[in-house]
Amino acid sequence: MRSATGELRKLPAFVRRDFLVAWSYRMSFVSDLVNLTGQIVVFYFIGLMIDPSVLPTYGGTDVTYLEYAAVGIAVGVFLQFGLDRVSAAMRGEQLMGTLESVLVTPTAPSTVQLGSVAFDLVYIPLRTAVFLTAVTIAFGLNLSAAGLIPALVVLVAFMPFVWGLGVATAALLLTFKRGGGFLGLGLVGLGLLSGVYFPLDLLPSWLTAIAEANPISHAIEAMRDSLLGDASLRSVLPTVVLLIPCSLASLALGLGAFRLAVRRERRRGTLGLY
Amino acid sequence: MAAVTAPEVEVARARPSALRTLPAIEADTISQQFDAKQALDSVSLAVAPGSVQALLGPNGAGKTTLLRILSGLLVPTSGSVRILGRKADSSRAFRSLIGLVPSGDRSFYLRISGVENLMFFARLHGATKREAKQRATELLEEVGLADAAKTRVGFYSHGMQKRLSVARALLASPPVLLVDEATHDLDPEGAHRVRDLVTSAAERGAAVVWATQRLDEIRGLADGVTLIAQGRQVFAGSVPELMAQAVPRRYLLHLRTRGSIDEALLGDVGTIERSGDGASHYLLVLREEAMLGDALAALRASGVDVLTCTEERSGIEQAFLSLAGAR
Repeated sequence: MRSATGELRKLPAFVRRDFLVAWSYRMSFVSDLVNLTGQIVVFYFIGLMIDPSVLPTYGGTDVTYLEYAAVGIAVGVFLQFGLDRVSAAMRGEQLMGTLESVLVTPTAPSTVQLGSVAFDLVYIPLRTAVFLTAVTIAFGLNLSAAGLIPALVVLVAFMPFVWGLGVATAALLLTFKRGGGFLGLGLVGLGLLSGVYFPLDLLPSWLTAIAEANPISHAIEAMRDSLLGDASLRSVLPTVVLLIPCSLASLALGLGAFRLAVRRERRRGTLGLY
Repeated sequence: MAAVTAPEVEVARARPSALRTLPAIEADTISQQFDAKQALDSVSLAVAPGSVQALLGPNGAGKTTLLRILSGLLVPTSGSVRILGRKADSSRAFRSLIGLVPSGDRSFYLRISGVENLMFFARLHGATKREAKQRATELLEEVGLADAAKTRVGFYSHGMQKRLSVARALLASPPVLLVDEATHDLDPEGAHRVRDLVTSAAERGAAVVWATQRLDEIRGLADGVTLIAQGRQVFAGSVPELMAQAVPRRYLLHLRTRGSIDEALLGDVGTIERSGDGASHYLLVLREEAMLGDALAALRASGVDVLTCTEERSGIEQAFLSLAGAR
């Protein structure tokens, strides 16, 4: 217990390090905002062409495509973060040559993993909140304030699932050094089968069956129910109950795979190679 | 009158003898295989607390591989490592015993300052933010980087990064310090400072392994030497013992002669030829089994005065080349 607390106390050091590194590239904050704005403008115009009747209703109310997509994009950012940023952080450590320097300190590999994304865990939710607020104000989105708490609960249950996938991807990168192909495939597959951009009903029936088994699609739908349909905490509870074991399994798989990957690299002497 | 320069022997700085009893580092018959390449073959090492063990060898001898094994970054194919009696593994308790100065340049976050880098690593050793800042500041002062504390490491010179690396290894005052080519490419002042820091750590009781390919570094620094070549341990002992392995064969002579010297003058004893450093400077190369005294006597008998006689290479260098299998 004391050891776990000691490890948790190290996380602010990672946050500070990554904030300072990110701050040294100030322009990237600006370009990120520009990209986000550009994306929303594109979806606004796409939304003008889409008949809201083809979209599902939430809490008995029709939603616009922009509202539908905005929630999907907000969740999609977490997905991208989990799959891309977690492994990218590990790859970055390898490329900078700092991975061995970190792993030679008395720090658990799981702390190194969590630490390398700790800044993103603070930054991405803030960025998402800013994004949703900006879109709401600029385009008059009808998001439910009461749905914020249930949405957050779903998000908290969902995040470890994505993080577990990201850690497993990082383990693959550590082992095979270049795993961009896997990552791209994973992102396309999960994006397609998660309902981020379009309703799953539009997919062929055999793909819909697969998509319905995808925990991400359940998380996104629960978020839409909360933010667009004013769903209560009680009504999103079945999704939360479904997500928790998935998250635990994903996290266990990811951390186990990462531990094995580090052990293998230690045996082969290729920990710092990329 | 011949003035033969004796090989320079310096005794390593005296350190508390009471600390030198049980080894802090024990590596027993370490072997490491990388696919078809045998990187290390049954290398053993024992280093007492408060002493510096030089790990000497040419490029590719296996020094870095051995240090990586001692630090727990690499699991050996066979053999065992114990640090303060604890078997090497990937546990946090084991890693808390080690301070590592890696050989490469890339081991810091280049976009952040030296003090921030040290603070980060100090916190990974369990220091609080305040302790980390205090320790980082102290060490930057010690390694002479106080003025550059707030400069991004990306702007540091190679030597400054090396000193920062030593500072990082000392953050938790570890009982074992593993130093890989720390003064390679450093200017004399920078190298001197790094050696002083490491010597001070040993004086405070740390067991130090100092890997180098530079022979001049180990004089006055190392208490013991392990020489490895092509992954095999070819010598283990003290610096004077290493030098005793040297069989000097080449000497630079300063002669006073009335005419030119016949190159065949020495017959079976060896050869003598102008060294190019001046009309009176010659290079004497002894044949196997020949004695220096015989060569000097033969010169004297031909009316040549030997003013000075100096080994062309130092004793350590002779031993290194002889043991490592090079000329």
